[in-house]
Parts: sequence; C-alpha cells; structure tokens
Amino acid sequence: MSTPSEAVIPLVRDRVDSTPETASVEPIAPTAPISASAHPTPAAIPRSRRSRVLMITEGTYPYAVGGVSSWCDAVIGGLDHLDWDILPIIAGGKRLRQNFVLPAHARLLRSIELWSEDAPPRRAPRPRRRGSGSKLPSQLLRGLLPWEGSLTELTAALVRCRERPQAVRREFRDSDSWQEFLLALVEVLAVSSDQSAPAPVYDTIEAARLYQTLYWVARTAAVPTPPCSLLHVTAAGWAAIPALAHKAIHGTPFLLSEHGVYVREAYLASVNNASVSLGQRHISTRLALGLTRATYAAADMIAPVTEANAEWERGLGVTPDRIRVIPNGIQPPTHWTKAPGIKKVIAMGRIDPLKDVQTMLLVADEVLQRMPEARFEYWGPATSGQEQYARACERMHEQLGLGERFRFMGRTADPHGVIRNADLVLMTSISEAMPMALLEAMAQARPAVATSVGGVPSVLSGCGLIAAPGDVHGLASAVVTVLDDPNLAERLGRRGFERLHRRYTLARCVTGYRDLIGELVNGAA
Amino acid sequence: MSQRDRGNGNGHVNGNGRLNGNGHAPLGGPGSEAANSAYAEGVIEARLGRPALDILEATVVLEAWTGAPARSAMSTAPDLVSSDFRPRDANPSLEASEDREQQSVVAEGITLVLSILSVAAWAIPLSRDYGPHVLAHAIRFALPIAVALQWGLRSRYLGRRHALAIFGRDGIAFCALAMLAVELPLALIHKSGPIAATFVAIWVGGAIVSRRGWGLVYATTLVIATIALDRHAPANLVLGSLTAFTLIVCMVGVLTRRQSTDERAGSIPRALLATLLGGCTGALLVADPTLGWGVRGLHPAVSLIPSVIGSFWGGYYLWNLYDVIPRGLSGMPLASGSSAAFRGPGMSIFLGAMLRLVGTTVVLSAVVSLIGHWTHGADAPSLFVAFGSVALLSLLIGLLESLALRRAALVAAAAAVAAEVAWHELAWRSGIHWHVSGAALIVGASVGMLLALPPLIVRLARSGSVLATTLWIQ
Repeated sequence: MSTPSEAVIPLVRDRVDSTPETASVEPIAPTAPISASAHPTPAAIPRSRRSRVLMITEGTYPYAVGGVSSWCDAVIGGLDHLDWDILPIIAGGKRLRQNFVLPAHARLLRSIELWSEDAPPRRAPRPRRRGSGSKLPSQLLRGLLPWEGSLTELTAALVRCRERPQAVRREFRDSDSWQEFLLALVEVLAVSSDQSAPAPVYDTIEAARLYQTLYWVARTAAVPTPPCSLLHVTAAGWAAIPALAHKAIHGTPFLLSEHGVYVREAYLASVNNASVSLGQRHISTRLALGLTRATYAAADMIAPVTEANAEWERGLGVTPDRIRVIPNGIQPPTHWTKAPGIKKVIAMGRIDPLKDVQTMLLVADEVLQRMPEARFEYWGPATSGQEQYARACERMHEQLGLGERFRFMGRTADPHGVIRNADLVLMTSISEAMPMALLEAMAQARPAVATSVGGVPSVLSGCGLIAAPGDVHGLASAVVTVLDDPNLAERLGRRGFERLHRRYTLARCVTGYRDLIGELVNGAA
Repeated sequence: MSQRDRGNGNGHVNGNGRLNGNGHAPLGGPGSEAANSAYAEGVIEARLGRPALDILEATVVLEAWTGAPARSAMSTAPDLVSSDFRPRDANPSLEASEDREQQSVVAEGITLVLSILSVAAWAIPLSRDYGPHVLAHAIRFALPIAVALQWGLRSRYLGRRHALAIFGRDGIAFCALAMLAVELPLALIHKSGPIAATFVAIWVGGAIVSRRGWGLVYATTLVIATIALDRHAPANLVLGSLTAFTLIVCMVGVLTRRQSTDERAGSIPRALLATLLGGCTGALLVADPTLGWGVRGLHPAVSLIPSVIGSFWGGYYLWNLYDVIPRGLSGMPLASGSSAAFRGPGMSIFLGAMLRLVGTTVVLSAVVSLIGHWTHGADAPSLFVAFGSVALLSLLIGLLESLALRRAALVAAAAAVAAEVAWHELAWRSGIHWHVSGAALIVGASVGMLLALPPLIVRLARSGSVLATTLWIQ
C-alpha cells in the first residue's frame, strides 16, 4: 500500500526519476583514460589479493542518468584494480531501467527498495543480546530525531536490525512499541537546544509518519551487506544506513563522497515546499541531520566535490584531517571551438525550483530589453514531481511575452553540441555543489554567468561572471556584458578551457580516488 | 551597456551591475554587522514567513537567497534563531487517497453479480444439455478457482492504478501459467472439466474486462449468451463462443491500455496468499453439498445475489478506512495517539461496512423471497443466511489481508472451510439428516468470523495504533 510519508526523508530528491541532473545525459564511458600511473590490470592481480569495495548508491547509479551516476561509472571504471559490489537504494513500487552497464570487475547486488511491498529480509534468529530494553522505534528515535541524537543508541539499534532482521517488522507492528515510541517522542520534543527553536507540536499523523520512516530506516539497516575491504557511500542519507551497521559490526573503513550536502538538500527541499506542516518539516530535516551526523561520525574520510561542501562538513563537526576535496571531472576535448557569435544563451538542467528558472526568465526578459537580438534556450526536462513548477514557469514565460526568444527545449542527447552552438551558458540556481553544466561549458570554451552558490565561485574563478542568487539585474548585466564583448567572452572561455584541463579532468578525479581508497584500504590492512 | 558594467572575468556582479573583486557575495548591503544581521533576518522572514527554526535552516536560506558562502552564513545563523518562538501551524489538510482500490472493488462487484446472474440464468438450459450433476460438478470446480484467480489478480494487478498496463507486461506469462496450471488440468477432468474451464475463463476474463471499464460489453455478451441458451442453441457452441469472445475482448482491453508506466505489480507472495484466501472463500461456497449448484434450477445462484450486492457495498465503504483514519487522527495530540475508542474512525468505518453488508443482504433477501415463485424456489431463508455469512467472512478476510494480518486471515479462511467440511461429515456419519440448506456453510462461515473478528476489533479500536503499526507498515 502506498502511504503518504514517502517524502519524509527524500530519497536523494530529484534523482530517482532517471532524468538528468545536469547536461550530462549520456553516461560517461567507463573506460576513463587514466594516465597517472601504470596500475596493474584486473588480470594482473590475483582475485584473492584484490580488495573489494562496497559502493552504496542512493537513487542514482546504475538506474538514473545524471552527474552522480556518471561519476560512479567513471570511478568504478577507472579503478579496475579493485572489485566492486554495487548496492543501490531505490524507491520501491517502480520499475527502473538499468542505464549503465557495469564493467567486469563490478557486481550489482539486489537493490534495497524503500516503501516497497516486499517482505523484509529474514535470517535464522540469533540469541537476543542484553540491551537497553528499549524497543527499536524508540531507540532509533533517540538516535535520529534530537538536535544531537545519541549515536550510541542509533548504532545499537542499527546493529540490532542487522543481527535480528526478522524482528524488525514484528517490533514495529507491535502496539506496545507504538505506545513506547509516543512517550519517547514527547520526551525528545521537549529537549531544548540553543541552536534551534522549540520543536513544533506534533499530531498523531505526524508521529505515525515518523514511525513509518523509522521502520524503513530499520529495514534498510537489516539488509545484509557482503564482506568488503572498504565501504564507499555516495550520500550521507539512506545510503549510509547499511554502511553504518556494517562498520559497527566489522570495523571496515568507511569513505563518504558528498556531491551535495545531504542535510543541506533536505533543508532546501523543506524550505521550498510550503505545503508541508511544520511537524513534517521538522521530521524530514531532523532525520536528515541525524543521518548526516551519524555518517560524519562513522566515516574515516569524507570526500566532498567542492570546498563549499567541506565548509558544511566542518560546520557539522568533521575535523579537517578527515576531509579531502576531490572535485568532479569530465573528459575534456583536446581543442576548443570558436563561439558562433549569434548571441545565443543556453541553460542546462532540470526544471526545478532549485534551478530558479523563474529568475532566469526575468533575466532573459531584462536582457532582451537591452539586447533584442539575443536568444535563450533552456535544455532539460521537469523534475518528476515538479510538473506544477514547470507549468508555473510556462505561464510566466507567457506573461512576460518571451515567445520564441526563450524556448524550453526538453532533453538533449548531445549536451556538448548544444553548448558548442551557444555563446554563453547561464545558470541561476539557488543551490549547486559542483555543476556539470559549468564543467561542460568550460570544456567547450564557453563563458558562463552563474549565481554564487555552493562550489560555483571556485569553479568559475577567472572564467565566468557570478552574481547573487535571485539578483535579476546583476545576472542580466553579466549576460549583456559577455554577449556584448566577444573578446571578453573568448578570453573567459579559453581560460575556462585551460582551467578545466588543469583542475577538473576525469583522470584527476579518478586518481584522487585511487589514492584515497588505497590509503584507507592499506591503512586498515 | 556602460563601461562600468563590464567585467574582467574574475568577479562578482551585484545588483547594480558592479563587480566585486573578491569573488564573494556580501551577506547584506554595505554597513555594520547589525545592518547585515537585520538584512539577513529580513531575507529569512521574506522567504519563510517566520523566523528560522534552527541554525541550519537560517544557513540554507542565507546561502540560497543571498549567495553568502557557507562559512559566512553559518556564522550569522545563530543570531537569527529565536529560542522563544514556538512554531504552530494549522493542521494540514490531508489529501484524499487515490481511488484505485475503490474502482477495483466496483469492477469486481459488477463482475461478480453478472457472473452469478449468468450462472442463475444458465442453470436450466445447461442442466438440460449436460445433465444437472455434470453442471453441478463443473461449478464446484470452477467457482473456487475463479474466485481464487480473481483475488490473486486483484492483489497483483487489478487493484493497482495502472492495472492493465502492469498486467500487460506480465500478460503472456500469466496466461501461459493459467493455461498450463489451471485450464489444461481442469479440461482433462471427465465431462465436467471442459465446462469448468470455460466458466473460469469467462469469469476471470470478465474481471479483467470490467477493470478495463468495459463491464457493459461483458454484460451484453452474457445477456446474448443467455438468450441463445434459452433459445436452445447448442451449449458447447455458446460457451465456446463466449469464452473466445471474452478472451479476445480481454486481450484487446489489455493491448489498448499498454501505456508506459513505471508502477510495479504487487508482490508475488502477497498475490499467492490472496489467491489462497480467494480459493478458500470459493471453496466455502461449494463445499456444502446441500446447496446443489445447478441441480435445482436457479436455486441457489439467485440466493447469492443479495449477499453479493451487500458485500460489494460494504467492501466499497470499507476502503474509506485508508482516508478516514488519517483524517480522524489529524490534529489529535500525541497523548491520545494510542488510546482505544470504539467510536473512533477505525471502528466506525468497520461497523459501517458490516451494517451495510448485513442490511443490504437482509433487505434484498426479503425481496428475493417475496418473488420466490419466479426464482424457482430460491426462498429457503437458511440459504440467504449462509451466503450472507460467507459475504461477511469474505469481507473480514479481505480486511485482514489488506492490513497484512496474513496469518489471521489464513487461519480464519482455513478454519472456515475445515469447520464446514467437518460439520457435514459429522452430520453424515452420525446419521442426522439436516434438511436445512446451507447449514454447513453457516457453521463454517461462523467459525471463520469468530476467528477473524478479534484481531480486527483489537486493532481497529485503536485508530492511532492501527494507522502507525498496521496500515502504514505492511
């Protein structure tokens, strides 16, 4: 039965719909050209001596197409001296098409499906440990919901789920567990923190939603994970849950790669969704915070894609020695082409409130008033679930009378071609980590105008213009500046191209992971 | 475009088109820290319509809507959280859930009534052609199998939003399996087997056709077949043609609904359990030999109609459970979240469904009894009680299954069949000749109900608990 709390902690929002996150709609070929060193081929290392990495993905690889999936594919393909087990966590009840072919040294495990009708895993019961005596729901609640949840309780609960999976459903369906959970919830909500306002008043529905979400946390923890030398988690949310249980039991090294900061995205989603109650908002953000804190505490190393993410990680208590920024990369072309000089501006990305398409329409309107010959194209589909936003954008487009001068183009299979045929790439997002669209613009030597969010300022340093998010006039001025001055545009584009070759190549990214994984695996050995 | 708007490719453009050389957006306008803080507070109020609830919310808003770098936003955020602001909001309205289950119940109800009417109307002409005992045998085989397949189909496909699109994906495999595992073995049974096989195909195909929304086509076909049989058309020809036509319409219905959907079919173990439960319900109907299907003309098929209509209405009403319980709990304080209330939303829907079933069955039974001479003797009150009991048990078992109380559902269904058989055996061995039609059925259904009711009442009396532990955790 479908229930309404599927959105309580979003499953890496916006990526489960198999739509591109950015311009990269085509998977990057797994054969990343690594020139960094002569690593032994898979056949050169005996299978018994090869390290096995368990990569846990969330709503991305290998089912969805997008930046994170392409990154997974590139890293796995590039590190063929390792054996990889891929454990995807996906939203249940939907059939997903596998969009990436796994290389020979990678093995796809059975997905963990959240909110599915499938029965939870079963295993022969083990003798019951003497524990705190709390039932699972209350234990998970104390671990995840408070501003600073009890990591000890959380870890104990996750280990319990892993060791006694057959008890999970029974405990959650027990009315005594529900009663105990309600009492614990009242206690937890009464705890104050100087970093947060008092908790909102929950009603029974919100409590039931939280209870159901904790059940899925427990079920996710209960899924067995194979023996491995390294746990590699791609988001500090649902994907971290099996790894947290695994690490607590086996002590396996744990690497977290953060493309976007999970808790930050959960907050943004709740801020952008005015229709949810304060209770629901509280649940979704606190659970995301609880999972993020637990993941940060358990991870031996955290690899954000940008320094902007690292700021968040440090802000949430991660010591700098456990953070290593490894930027995303793409395979750059060997030469760049001249811009067509037709004053065409393109944007690439999903139609989503996070991309702030409405600001882009206003920017286009202002630019067209100052430069009527300019043309805008927006490439990318609406995010699944954001159709209403897409319709609002279309209405706004109509009201502004932009007509053919600003066109929504839908998906493209050739993002590089689209960028090559443009003079400028525009991005008005209110949130980004390290957008692939900008890297692709740099690869084609096109200048970019973008908002100063996340890792954008550091990526675009010296090769584009930035303005504050929502600053229509600032962005429009920047667009006009670049379109009006082809020399400036060419200079910015060329700098971007060179910068990409220096800092943001796929080989560099894969080498970064090769070194980091090597350190973690060898350190543990 | 003025010269001052021109950038050097290494900077930040602010609202009036100037570039800031440091590449970072300031949090607020120029001025003191207090002015920055007031600006930040203003941005948060404008964006959220209230103060920030915690420092991370403040940080995210400042980052996203002022372009402040994370560190700067994080350092400003603690000043923007009010520790005495107690957030409250009106209870959010809960949207009504999708109507798919109800649509499915309607389709199933119509199909079932039509199937029964067809059995009722065909009893005399088919008895004439095949002989009453052969027909009775055929119905005894076909009814449990058809009901079992209908329950299974509903669980895996027909109860879903994109029912036929999902069924279309598995259609060939399902048909092959049905042919090999059901129709072929059935057809091999001497004399009555082929007739039973056609009944199963017609009734199960009818469920799919009705779910497609073509119930009228199906009904018209049945009426035409009935007229043909009444006019002495060869039974084999009529049943064969009807089977072929139903399957073709079924196929067309599925093929014309092959839209792309990523919705998945229901789980196989659950569908198998539903099939088993449906099989038990069907077996209950045919395990009592006093009913004499097909032997006594329209009796007892017509007697089924009141309870089927009652069951259909009760079942339809019962699906409100999924909406009414959450609505009833919206705004309920946590302190009351686990208290028991027999007048709570769970129990009121449950009792409402039972009353509708029983009331409809009683009223329609009285009507059928009054026109008993026309229905060729379908006037034994015990028959109406028997079928009413089966309908009630079927409702309870269906509810247990949908609440994922699988063991209880299975125990109740199996115990009902066992008690029915045991009662008949006992009566036969002890030499007591019961002249009450459907007595064994009443006993079996009553035992099943006695076992099914307690777990349901215990759960449904606590609406908060049933929502959290049962409806939302399956």
